[in-house]
Amino acid sequence: MESGGSWVSELKKHEEEQENTETATREMRTHFKITRFIMEAGVKLGMQSVPIATACMVYHRFFRETSLEAYDPYLVAMSAIYLAGKVEEQHLRTRDIINVSHRYLHPGSETLELDSHFWELRDSIVQCELLMLRLLNFQVSFQHPHKYLLHYLLSMKHWMNRHSWERTPVAAAAWALLRDSYHGTLCLQHKVQHVAIAVLYLALQCYGVEVPAQAAGERPWWQVFSEDLTEQIILDIVSELIQLYALDTEIS
Amino acid sequence: MDWDLLRQCLAAHGPSLLSLLRCEQNETLPFRSLLGDVSRGPPGRKEKRVDNIEIQQFIARKADLLFSVSWKPTTAATSEAREETEDLYAIMPPLEQFMEVPVRDKRELFFRDLERGDVVIGRISSIREFGFFIVLVCLGSGIVRDVALLEITALCPLRDVPSHGSHGDPLSYYQIGDLIQAAVKDIDRYHEKVTVSLHSAALPSHLSSLKLGVISSEDLPVHYKQSAAVASSNSQIYEKTLEQSLGFANPSTVEFLLGKLGISESDPPSLMRGLQRTHFNDEDYASTLRKKQSASWALKCVKSGVDHFKMGRHVEAMNEYNRALEIDAKNVEALVARGALYATNGSLNKAIDDFEVALENCQTHRNARKYLCQTLVVRGGQLEEEDKLLNAESYYKKALTVDETFQEAEDALVKLRQRIQKSLEKREKQAERQAEKEDKQKQKRVETSAEKLRKLLKEEKRLRKKRRRSTSSSSASSESTSNVSHSSSSSSSSSSSSSSSSSSSSSSGHKKHKKRRRTYSESSTHSMKRSSNVSSHQKDYNSNDGWYPPPANTSASFLNQKKEMEKLLERQDRLVCQKAAVEQKVRSRSSSSVEILETTGGRSEESKGSYNSSKTWASGSRKASDVRAERLVSCRRDSTGSSNTKSGEKQMRDDKELEEGKGHGASESSHEKHIPFLTERYKHVQYTEPYASSKKKTHPGGCEFIPNEYPRKDHRDSEGRSRENLNAEDLEEQIPHNQKGYGETSVKKNLPQNLLNIFSQIAEFEKLKGNKQKNK
Repeated sequence: MESGGSWVSELKKHEEEQENTETATREMRTHFKITRFIMEAGVKLGMQSVPIATACMVYHRFFRETSLEAYDPYLVAMSAIYLAGKVEEQHLRTRDIINVSHRYLHPGSETLELDSHFWELRDSIVQCELLMLRLLNFQVSFQHPHKYLLHYLLSMKHWMNRHSWERTPVAAAAWALLRDSYHGTLCLQHKVQHVAIAVLYLALQCYGVEVPAQAAGERPWWQVFSEDLTEQIILDIVSELIQLYALDTEIS
Repeated sequence: MDWDLLRQCLAAHGPSLLSLLRCEQNETLPFRSLLGDVSRGPPGRKEKRVDNIEIQQFIARKADLLFSVSWKPTTAATSEAREETEDLYAIMPPLEQFMEVPVRDKRELFFRDLERGDVVIGRISSIREFGFFIVLVCLGSGIVRDVALLEITALCPLRDVPSHGSHGDPLSYYQIGDLIQAAVKDIDRYHEKVTVSLHSAALPSHLSSLKLGVISSEDLPVHYKQSAAVASSNSQIYEKTLEQSLGFANPSTVEFLLGKLGISESDPPSLMRGLQRTHFNDEDYASTLRKKQSASWALKCVKSGVDHFKMGRHVEAMNEYNRALEIDAKNVEALVARGALYATNGSLNKAIDDFEVALENCQTHRNARKYLCQTLVVRGGQLEEEDKLLNAESYYKKALTVDETFQEAEDALVKLRQRIQKSLEKREKQAERQAEKEDKQKQKRVETSAEKLRKLLKEEKRLRKKRRRSTSSSSASSESTSNVSHSSSSSSSSSSSSSSSSSSSSSSGHKKHKKRRRTYSESSTHSMKRSSNVSSHQKDYNSNDGWYPPPANTSASFLNQKKEMEKLLERQDRLVCQKAAVEQKVRSRSSSSVEILETTGGRSEESKGSYNSSKTWASGSRKASDVRAERLVSCRRDSTGSSNTKSGEKQMRDDKELEEGKGHGASESSHEKHIPFLTERYKHVQYTEPYASSKKKTHPGGCEFIPNEYPRKDHRDSEGRSRENLNAEDLEEQIPHNQKGYGETSVKKNLPQNLLNIFSQIAEFEKLKGNKQKNK
């Protein structure tokens, strides 16, 4: 009886765990989809990388505080874009956001008329923006790895042979990886410097580029950029990042 | 696909990546041939690192993106001409300084990476007869390396030292310890020897403006200063240096560095399959959507505007069209619709503009083309009626260039050309005929004008006598001048009346007119008012000049119609002159009214205009008679009033004030200078008239009086004062004066009934007076 009970409870626990992980992966997928929407809309809106990153951060932070069931994630994403535009001084017009989002959610549809329906959409975006601000305690300015990454790249460029640098698109690859990393919550879990370095690390690896005198130096290059960083942390971040790309193929 | 890059990658990762690539990229065609190619020669791989399968898998999966050519940095030749402004980004010391790379490796890498054309900065360590040696301190361009402690010497041979002036030895210019900026000329990588040059020819083209030679320590590059600072304080680390620098805090640093590193933000790279640019439809971009949306919104406005138009609500329609164009400035439909509205409202030029813009934006718009042609032809027709045949021709031609098959324009053009031909012939004939006519007329006029002149002189004599009498009677001289002012004005008016009564139509007559005036002004007594009189006359003449056609012998063309108009007016003129003496003013008025009408000009309006002007004539002549009567009254008063000389004096001064003020007013008011005092009354009559005599039609030329109000308003105060001064005058005059004050102000408000009565009484009274005077 006892053993049976423990077996049952264990089974239940196992089921619960499974359920939890299932919901977690489901949620992760949803978030991946929505952040994909943010990025795609960002490109179509002509947003720069940093505002897009801020929008993703706002979005991730918002759903860390609340559950996915409570709010429409697409509306939250639209408001996040709008808010990010304000935070990062690249003001976007709600009309454009609504147009692009409508087109994204209803591909091939006609452009919206500027009627009452449109104004309702607009009002909901603005109100959701207020809600987000309150939920995030008005803390919506974030440190991003972008600035760090660019300075690392510049330092790296000077240390490398200029011809091999010109031949390999390390900068573009690192930038792409960094932008893509916002599909997940990488930037919420790690120090921004670490993310920037991990992205650079992966980009260098992708092209088989070695940092000159890597072995000879007292300190590896990543430790120069961030003292409290170990290679293990880099590999963890890289692994997480690669998993995000796995989601990409899964969903599409 | 960038094969070299892929080979480099395969060399680094070894055969495991190759097999993974075979797995993952088997479907992609270009890879298949390559993979076969690579596998033949096994890549020499350094067995240094432990394979990271996960990363290799990733590379294999994304190989088609990673090694695509489009990712190659495009900023190979960005001019990094030392724009090292600290504010734009954090300029960091060389990386190897923090990595603490041993000197041997640094040296080796330096000689590997240094290239011809790089700029080096060093201190002169020794000077020999064949040149001088420098010990490198830092690098100025190309690469940034920590070379201060490497003790690398470079030779600057004598032939690469530019000679300064006539000095025999160029080396005498340099001293040991000088900081030298030089360009690398030659590198011996094996023997680790560098030759530098001070000739700017050794520099690459994008750095050619750089100054070579001695520099001061302030000119050292920022990264060197930074690295020196870091070296001096051992505790400094990269992270802190970065975060403390000013450039790092610059919000636009990301944008700047992206440009520097050659990363595109408008078309950002991504390794996600779903985020590839090729998946995005151009139509889904915000700007395209907005444009589309605006267009449809504008179209909606146009539709409602068209509805308004159909219902005859032109103003609402215009508002809708304008709104549509505000939303979408180049909306063709809105432009065409607005053009059509303009055309129907008669503003053809605006319509033409709109159609033209519409056609510019959409060359195939059939309606725009059609309407434009039609409007051009109509406008051409208008011009033809106005006898601007050449302009009309150009419009027809334009219509034909827009649409070659437009029959109407062609027909009109043919007709027009015939007409031009005819009119040219006609003009020649006319010129002959006119010459004859003029001869005759001249003879005629000489008689009449001589008669008039005699009359005029007589009158003047009489006046002069009068004045002499008044001055002899020891009254104030001011009074006499005031008298003169009145008399001169009266004479001027009489002279003008006489001239106009005699003048028939031709411009030559007008010329004479002017001459006569001159003679008059010369012969007139030298009064204070004289100069102003003359000037106003001239003005008068000028304003007339604007309206009268230029003399026939000048190049003026095709003004037949205007001449006819003129004749018509002149006929009217004569009629008026029989009635009233003060014609000049009225004529100038009527001419101005005609001018107003002319600006609205259309072919139909021209005849209407003449009709209108004749109406004004009628009303004007009536008023003129009033004025004349009044003037006579005041003349009498002034001449007889030796008892109230003082008040007259004051009044005179006030009049002058008024006059001066009026000088600023509308050009029309200049006519009134002749009779400064009377204008007051004249206006008064004008204002009260419509109210006093309700049976009379409100005169159509009413608008022309509006400009008169401006100078009046400005001088209300001075008038008020003048009125006070007039207290000494006889009661008979006082009443209307005071009432006048009310009249003027209250006309602007709605007149109370009882005041209206008073006004009518005054008007009657004045009329009576005038009649009495006439009878006398």
